[in-house]
Amino acid sequence: MRSANRFVPCWLASFVILCTIGCAESESRSGHDGTKRGTPQVYTVNYPLAFFAQQIGGEHVDVRFPVPENQDPTLWEPSVEDVTRLQSADLILVNGADYAPWVKRVSLPRSKVVNTTEEARQEYIDGVESVTHQHGPDGEHTHTALASTTWLDLQIAITQLRSVKDALVKLVPNQSEVFEGRFVKLETELKALDQELLDAWSSDEPAPVLSAQPVYQYLARRYGLRVESVRWEPDEMPDEEAWKELAASLETTSAKAMLWQTEPIQEIRAELKRLGISVVVYSPASNRPKSGDFIRVMKENVASMINSRK
Amino acid sequence: MFDSLYIAWKHLCFHKVKTLILVAAISVTLFLPAGVDALVDECAQQLRQRAAQTPLLIGAKGSETELVLNSLYFESNPPADTSMKALERVQSSGYAEAIPLYVRFRAREKPVVGTTLDYFSFRELRVGAGRQFAMLGECVLGVDAADQLELRPGQSLLSQSENVFDLAGAYPLRMNVVGVLEPSGSPDDSAVFVDVKTAWIIAGLGHGHQDLGEDASSDSLLEKDGQRLTANASVPTYTEITSANVASFHFHGDPVDFPLTGVLAVPEDRRSRALLRGRFQGTDEASQIVEPSAVMEKLLATILRVRTIVLVGALLLSVATTLVVVLVFALSLRIRRQELETMRKIGATRFAVFLIVAWEILVVLGLSGGIAVSLTFLTRQLSGPAIRWFLL
Repeated sequence: MRSANRFVPCWLASFVILCTIGCAESESRSGHDGTKRGTPQVYTVNYPLAFFAQQIGGEHVDVRFPVPENQDPTLWEPSVEDVTRLQSADLILVNGADYAPWVKRVSLPRSKVVNTTEEARQEYIDGVESVTHQHGPDGEHTHTALASTTWLDLQIAITQLRSVKDALVKLVPNQSEVFEGRFVKLETELKALDQELLDAWSSDEPAPVLSAQPVYQYLARRYGLRVESVRWEPDEMPDEEAWKELAASLETTSAKAMLWQTEPIQEIRAELKRLGISVVVYSPASNRPKSGDFIRVMKENVASMINSRK
Repeated sequence: MFDSLYIAWKHLCFHKVKTLILVAAISVTLFLPAGVDALVDECAQQLRQRAAQTPLLIGAKGSETELVLNSLYFESNPPADTSMKALERVQSSGYAEAIPLYVRFRAREKPVVGTTLDYFSFRELRVGAGRQFAMLGECVLGVDAADQLELRPGQSLLSQSENVFDLAGAYPLRMNVVGVLEPSGSPDDSAVFVDVKTAWIIAGLGHGHQDLGEDASSDSLLEKDGQRLTANASVPTYTEITSANVASFHFHGDPVDFPLTGVLAVPEDRRSRALLRGRFQGTDEASQIVEPSAVMEKLLATILRVRTIVLVGALLLSVATTLVVVLVFALSLRIRRQELETMRKIGATRFAVFLIVAWEILVVLGLSGGIAVSLTFLTRQLSGPAIRWFLL
């Protein structure tokens, strides 16, 4: 009896040790970097996807958008440390349509990467910028670029939203109902904005518009705009040659508005006004806005577009 | 009893050479069938184990054996290329996770395995030193490859041209070694792992060169007509990917047409496995889907036939050796007739003499049996690493 009593604490101690080892092992399995992670990590390549993931996933996911503020996500190049962090993510939401070219130059776990425009692949706009050249024994070849700000067509944005929701449901299946509810709410808001733009702009004749940067291809196609792009920076006065080229193009187009991603400097605004062109700030919201969120920025965009027609 | 054993032992010790020859001959005869059996068993087990860990393989139609040996052991000639389309088909079916494999090139005779990070999760491979590959042009070595090539993270490794006479082919790529895997006791230990995109760059499907659009003064630029640039063949193509030039690397063609040597499919369950197999069974199907374990069983059936032949040979050898041993003992007794009679004359009983001879035979057989058992045990213990070394 006495020996049996002695064995009980020994067994209990062994059980506790084994449980501790077991828990330690399961913790080390929870993350590739060996750290315990309570909520799944979701990385995105631009702000709209981060917004969608955050709105749908809420407290059930840890959404990370690694691009620093004030930097264009299409021009960002990740460091090795950034890529290592991405590799340990549970889900990586990419935009597709060649957005963020760095995605093709780094090694990511394919099973965790979700292309949010996969369902809208047929709607990609091709050949936006192409350079044909030849060198070496391969002969002539062409580098074409896809238009990549897909979410400016709010129908494609809804497709991306759905794709984000589906990926999150797969990641956290026990929250599918919650995610579905949040998705429907956001979808309704995007649909309403889409309809507003359609009502304001769609007509039999595409409306001519100028754009300061070539990022509005999807917006133009969806809402019936005929966009002619230049490459102007909002904080840099274009040279005389650029103004001459603009004046020449105005002879063939009756554009009355110019789309800008951000507010241009006063000198540009004044010169455009002199030419009879109004400035319309239509932010793609590729990176985090200084204030508000994606929906608010889109609402402001829609309002300024509608105002420009008045 | 022990007196007889003592005399028998002394006799055997006195005739050392004869005894040793007898023991060696009988030991080898006994060990041969058991040893062959142990080696073949170990070989079959290792081949089966790797195959059993690989649920399904998809590749271009052709030799199943080549596809399996190339994808599992990174050996044999590369099978005909399949493409990323096959991978997309598996992925879009939703029945399995698809992992690409492009095992065509070598670097200092080690196979260069182009894949994705999912391969490491699937095979449960961990990085022991350094880190996982992150950028184009980086590679991770298996532990044996690192030892044999005397490479460690921070050093570089040059890929081999597929055909040394193809002067116009792709340039070798200098790959940066960023990590070494922990030992896994599998063919992965001897391989060089790169991202499949890096493997495509080695294949010449992607490359980096100076920006012809930006450097209009380049001597290589022959003509510039709007967006159309024509350069001569002297445009320097980078043979090493660095942080300074990585942005210039690009691929030509549609990525879904890019080649793979195989696609590793990991279905969730048996139903998904069956449904996925059904997808690749059409008569006009350009791809084949194989179960590595089934292909390996076919290959092993050949090995097992060889084992039977070897075992029959060993048994015949055993019979011959037994007859020779019987003859040796018979002749030995005839030569020792006077010695045995002398024993009888000095008082040994007939049974005592019989006992001495019997002990001699038993000791020889016992020693031989012991040695044969020890050798078989050692073979079973050491055959694992030996077969791995031989196979891998």
